[in-house]
Amino acid sequence: MSWKPQGGGGPWGNSGGGNGPTGGGTQPPDIEEMLRRSQDNLKNFMPGGGNSGRMVTLVIAAVFALWMFSGTYRVEAGHQGVVMLFGKHMPTKDSSPGLNWFFPSPIGKVFTPNVETVRRIDVGFRGSVQNTGFSRSVTPERAVLAESLMLTNDQNIIDVQFTVQWKVKDAANFLFSIRDPEGTVKVAAESAMREVIGQTNLENALTTDRQMVQDKTRESLQVILDDLKSGITILQVQLLKVDPPAQVIDAFNDVQSARQDLDRKKNEAEAYANKVVPTAQGQAAQMLQQAEAYKEQVTKEAEGEAKRFLSVYKSYKAAKDVTTQRIYLETMEAILKKSNKVIIDQKNGGAIPYMALPELNKSHGGQK
Amino acid sequence: MSKGLAILGGLVAVAGVVMSSAMYTVDQTEQAMVMQFGNPQRQVSEAGLHFKMPFVQDVVYYDNRALDLDPPPGQVILNDQKRINVDAFARYRIVDPLRFFQALRTEDHLRDQVGRVLNASVRNSMARNSLSDLLSAKRDDIMSEIEQRLASETKDYGIQILDVRVVRTDLPPEISQNVYNRMRSERVKEANQLRADGEKAKLEITSRADRDKVVIIAEARRQSDILRGEGEGERNRILGAAYGQDPKFFAFYRSMTAYKASMGNGDANMVLSPNSDFFRFFSDQTGTQQ
Repeated sequence: MSWKPQGGGGPWGNSGGGNGPTGGGTQPPDIEEMLRRSQDNLKNFMPGGGNSGRMVTLVIAAVFALWMFSGTYRVEAGHQGVVMLFGKHMPTKDSSPGLNWFFPSPIGKVFTPNVETVRRIDVGFRGSVQNTGFSRSVTPERAVLAESLMLTNDQNIIDVQFTVQWKVKDAANFLFSIRDPEGTVKVAAESAMREVIGQTNLENALTTDRQMVQDKTRESLQVILDDLKSGITILQVQLLKVDPPAQVIDAFNDVQSARQDLDRKKNEAEAYANKVVPTAQGQAAQMLQQAEAYKEQVTKEAEGEAKRFLSVYKSYKAAKDVTTQRIYLETMEAILKKSNKVIIDQKNGGAIPYMALPELNKSHGGQK
Repeated sequence: MSKGLAILGGLVAVAGVVMSSAMYTVDQTEQAMVMQFGNPQRQVSEAGLHFKMPFVQDVVYYDNRALDLDPPPGQVILNDQKRINVDAFARYRIVDPLRFFQALRTEDHLRDQVGRVLNASVRNSMARNSLSDLLSAKRDDIMSEIEQRLASETKDYGIQILDVRVVRTDLPPEISQNVYNRMRSERVKEANQLRADGEKAKLEITSRADRDKVVIIAEARRQSDILRGEGEGERNRILGAAYGQDPKFFAFYRSMTAYKASMGNGDANMVLSPNSDFFRFFSDQTGTQQ
């Protein structure tokens, strides 16, 4: 007994009717089978009459009760029951986690989509998620360059891999608004990311603007999905890899190493300067000290010399001639005592003074 | 008695068959159109239980959700003569099943027909823009222009265009190669610039240090010369003050000191005349000679 004489699959009964999103309907008992059985019972009962009539009524009642009982369904934690009567969504009957009841099939139908699970879509790669204790890490396994290569604002090409984390915000919209919600999220995410990257320069996308790119993509993606009444909320757009394309990455790395060369050279030069300048300052201090010392020395010596002279002068003033004579003679004595002396009387003798200079020098040298 | 019951049972069975043919349901995700011998009669957009004439009327169902249309990417020549591969997609909803049925009948047909219109709209709109327009805020305008164009060209198809998006705008491989070459040469330039900057910074810093060194030493020399000069000046002043008291005696005294200092260590050879003052008493006891 079919409710729908033609057209591909009914809304319930066979799964072909709903190529819709996930969320299982309740498993109805086979209603045709039940009806046929009750009709058989009816036929059996009619000719007999009497006592068996009550039996049949009881059986029918029991079957009806069983059928009604099959409308009981359970909504797991984190899920939401979306209830439909003859295929029409009844918002007021939607149920929260726990045990619930609604008319069983074929009158009612219940979807219980998961509205808490964070779902993930990878763009630019196909990866796997590892749950290691508390943290979730995503391991890119295979790059999909057709998705990950995109144009930047300055017409360069950049390699971007990212994941989108989302969950169901409105179960009914999620189920009834879009035929392929996951595919839509993916395509929209790719489009949004390309739009944002297309308005960002390569240099900034690689370095400073990563956060901005994530935020803008998330916002833009949310707007697209809200416009479609998708019932989806985007939790996070997370950039995993933002690199120059593989073809030119060595050139980019060389820029990095050139930047390090620059720093290294600067540091070397600074080290040199830090050595040279203080050394010079030390030398300068040394020179100043020496000059200071010389000044003191000269002054002191002069003072001493002056004092000495003044003392001599004082004694000289007391007896001028004698002192002069005495000093003269003492000096001459001291000099002549040690010197080689030749005394020639030029006035009386006519001898030509001949001086054997080499001889003198020899004796001079010998003395030394 | 039993004959009456059989008739009753038969009636119930017939009524069941008729009922089942007269009732149909429309799912929340669907809309329906009732057909009579293949002719559309009316459309049903409300989900739930509905009735029709049994046996003579059929029901055709259409999706009520946002549907996707993603034609294969096509190549577009932009107005700056650059060629790009464009992958556009559209979201639409069937709003008028009757018109949809008349114009397209099936979704496959729509994919073919509207996909072609979408690609043509993309080509038309983009051909009037340059690549830098696509990579700017103007992208939104271009997309909404494509959307409007697509909407107006498909207005008789019973569909509503919800959203048109350009997913990918990729350069063809040979152009990509040019871009890579340019990116590479830019990086090489940058790296060379950085290295040259490093050399420059190094020379700047070291030469400044060398300069500082020279200046510091020179300044120290200046100051030490000043100090030495001060010292010598002081010496002159002190000695001048002392010796100035009696220049004659100074000349004598200083000469004596100098004689002793220069000749007093015994390395001098002296040729003396007995007539010199020192030998005054040699030949004359009174010393009055001369």
